[in-house]
Amino acid sequence: MLLRLRNLFAGLWLTFMVALGACAQSSVVIVSSDDGAAYAEAAQALVQELERGGVSRFSIRRINASEWRDARPQAPRLYVTLGAEAADLLARFVPGAPVLCALLPRNSFEAILLRTGRKVSSQLSALFLDQPAQRQFQLIRLAFPSARRVGVLWGPDQAKDGGEWRTQAQAAGFQLVDAEVGTEDLLFPALKQVLDGTDLLLAVPSPQVYNSRTIQNILLTSFRANVPMMAFSPAYVRAGALLAVYVTPSQVGVQAAHLARAVLEGKTLPASGVYSNDFHISVNEHVAHSLDLSLDEQDLSRRLRQREARP
Amino acid sequence: MNRWMVWCALLAGSASVWADGTVGVSERDFLTDVPLVLSVSRLPQRLDDTPGAVTVLDREFIRLSGARDVADLLRLVPGFQTSMSFESIAPQASYHGGFSSYSNRIQVLVDGRSAYSAYFIGSVEPGLQSVAIDDIERIEVLRGSNSAAYGARAFLGVINIVTRDPVDTLGTQLGLSTGSNAIGDARASVGWIADKANFRLALDRRSDAGLAGSNGTNRIDRLNFRGGLRPASGDDFELRLGTMTLNAGKGDPNQVDNLARDTRYGSSYLQFDWRRSLDQDHDLALSFSHGDETYRDAFPYSLQALGINDSIAIDASGASRSDALTLQHTWRKGLQWRMVWGAELRREQVVSRPIYNTDDALVTNFARLFGNLEWRPGKELVLNAGAMAEHSSTSGASLAPRLMLNWHVADGQTLRVGASRAYRPPSTYEQFADVRYSWNGHLLEVATLASGNVQPESVFSREVGYLGVLPQLGLNLDVRAFHERIDQFITQMNSTRPKDYANTENFSIHGLEYQLKWQPWNGTRIMFNQTYLNFSLIDHGIENGLAVDYGNALPAPKLASTLTWFQKLPGNLDLSIMHQDSGTMTPQRTGHDHQAAMTRTDLRLAAPLRLGAQRAELALVVQNLGLPYMDADPAYAFQRRIFVTIKLDQ
Repeated sequence: MLLRLRNLFAGLWLTFMVALGACAQSSVVIVSSDDGAAYAEAAQALVQELERGGVSRFSIRRINASEWRDARPQAPRLYVTLGAEAADLLARFVPGAPVLCALLPRNSFEAILLRTGRKVSSQLSALFLDQPAQRQFQLIRLAFPSARRVGVLWGPDQAKDGGEWRTQAQAAGFQLVDAEVGTEDLLFPALKQVLDGTDLLLAVPSPQVYNSRTIQNILLTSFRANVPMMAFSPAYVRAGALLAVYVTPSQVGVQAAHLARAVLEGKTLPASGVYSNDFHISVNEHVAHSLDLSLDEQDLSRRLRQREARP
Repeated sequence: MNRWMVWCALLAGSASVWADGTVGVSERDFLTDVPLVLSVSRLPQRLDDTPGAVTVLDREFIRLSGARDVADLLRLVPGFQTSMSFESIAPQASYHGGFSSYSNRIQVLVDGRSAYSAYFIGSVEPGLQSVAIDDIERIEVLRGSNSAAYGARAFLGVINIVTRDPVDTLGTQLGLSTGSNAIGDARASVGWIADKANFRLALDRRSDAGLAGSNGTNRIDRLNFRGGLRPASGDDFELRLGTMTLNAGKGDPNQVDNLARDTRYGSSYLQFDWRRSLDQDHDLALSFSHGDETYRDAFPYSLQALGINDSIAIDASGASRSDALTLQHTWRKGLQWRMVWGAELRREQVVSRPIYNTDDALVTNFARLFGNLEWRPGKELVLNAGAMAEHSSTSGASLAPRLMLNWHVADGQTLRVGASRAYRPPSTYEQFADVRYSWNGHLLEVATLASGNVQPESVFSREVGYLGVLPQLGLNLDVRAFHERIDQFITQMNSTRPKDYANTENFSIHGLEYQLKWQPWNGTRIMFNQTYLNFSLIDHGIENGLAVDYGNALPAPKLASTLTWFQKLPGNLDLSIMHQDSGTMTPQRTGHDHQAAMTRTDLRLAAPLRLGAQRAELALVVQNLGLPYMDADPAYAFQRRIFVTIKLDQ
């Protein structure tokens, strides 16, 4: 008797859940490359910000890339991908809803477009994880008022971006001293060339140049040459870079939510990728002290925001 | 920031590999953790926080000086006296006075390894020669007693030689110098990287005919290896190996008790260092080093004067070895506190039948505990409090404390005031020397017999310093006014037969030295130093006029000045002019009977070259443009030397 009653309840529950699933088509599906903490933090900030904007938590679905491969959910009104792998998956699939690719650097997004033959549009747009060159050079100007020469090491295929960086550097009053690292063997000759007479080494992410194997020698060599490094993540600041400007996953989540809400309100995604509005600056106070530099994270952030707010 | 660390840790080690296998930039480059590199022990104290006066000779300075060895460079540092003679063992340098044939009251470190000679009474001379000058990244000269941080040998100062990192010397480097006085220097070095490891192997020779009047050629051959492993874990392993052979002609054909002869000194070392960053604020460093010395120096002493048609061997040959194990912990808390503390065990043994009249090894064991606490109560003040407790198996325990306050009066303006006490225990020779001469089983003479009745000498040093940096004017001024009181000075008693070592005078060294660096514009670098020194005898002790006696001996000039001018010329030529003017002093080997002043002007003109893809430099160096000056002995002179150097750097 009890067993039959339990079966009945189970059947009713299943029917209810199926019905609920059919009715509640998701507004936003968040596809993460990974379940790691950074993705979780970005997703959480995204959900909270959407909720704050009146979007129901039940209409937001979070899955990871492997779940997507196993079973694609019914098309929502917007996909938000977190990470390059998820962006790559959705760019190949061409779902019936716009896709906002977040938490990935601009080069990753451009590589995806190249591989999939797609074009950036309001159907496939991006919120970049890296910082615009202009912001980085403005920060260098604020932190090192007398700096003249900024060194950059390019990974394979990155030197093509050199023209744009050079233009931005010149606009901020710097001379760019750059070198391409074709293979890892050539890293230190290139570094030596770039450090010669430069005031600062600006690290532009490339796994062939900056990785856990090379960073010890790069940071030690530049420190010996008395050339501080401006990096792209807080991990590098902890390792010994003087400072970094970056966007945190929470900040990514919040801005992605603003772009998503606009879509839900009937607008479209930006027709080309955008950089984060918000950013964070970290300074390694010990390295700064050792170099006799007085840099304050809050002060630099405030002044950089003021500068960006100027028309 | 902490949350960032958590995800970074979670993402550590992941690679940004695409589905199609290619590697490109991805979010992982931004989110992945990387090892801590500029950890607490890797960030040096700033000069204006340092408890004492420091002269830094960087690689550019070393290159532009045209100096062929470290001793020759140190003459450009305030307070130093140098000699180019190989008569004691090798060119030497002393700070605030050369009191005997050997310079053993300063410490020499090569990449952190004590390189003073256990065999030669703790002298720095062989240590100063242990690496080629082109393998040196910089030399930090800590002027003033520093035993609290560097042990007993840092009685009056420290010469800290830092060799170039293999990463900075990748590829092949070649160098060749040739010129007058039979100068023939050559160097080849190769550096390479293999995955996380880096290596350098350097072979070089320094050779010349020595001082005018001296005997024969002096030739140093060196082979040095340095390898580093920096795995992604953030550990750092370094291995250094080296060997040096020094062949020097000594003596005089006309002096029966110092006959012209060839001598041979050999040394080798091994050094292993391991550094681990426990976290951002804690570093642990373990270091082991081993050194060997061998010395061969013998000549026949004719007994004709005694009516015997034979000779005996005057011999100073022997060997030494030293082993040291050091564990050091560096800790900091914010910018306010920083502490370095640790322990060292060191064992030195010397064997020489002719010098100690025994075949047994004479062993000295040292145990040391050291620590320095840096406290920054505000932006303006830095207090360094340090001490070293040392126990020597032959001369007991001592405690060397130091206290120094640095006051950053204004931006770029620092005043220093402090005091320290240090002890130098007597060396093996000063305690156990037993030099005797026999013929056919008959004892002819006991020349030196150390009674062992000698205590550590001590120095109480007080100083006031100023460091001013005016970047707008390109000016940097370092001033040190000092009063160093030396008590129980250990010296050889000349009046006794056999000779003995004893604690004799108490005296003070006081004066002022300054170093002005001026870079008025790009391409011009000027350095001007002056040192005013005075010795005041406080107490004669048991015998008059051994170290400090105004009538006869003056261990350092009362006034010495150097001017160094580096000028970039059109065509990227480098011109260097170095002028030294030292007042009267008693050269280290002459005893009390001679005094001499000296002036020396050096010139160097260098042009950069490109030989295909290789960078090269051709330089002409003229050392001592003027008249020869007396060096080490009235019979020896440093005459003009002209040589050409070519260096290739791939």
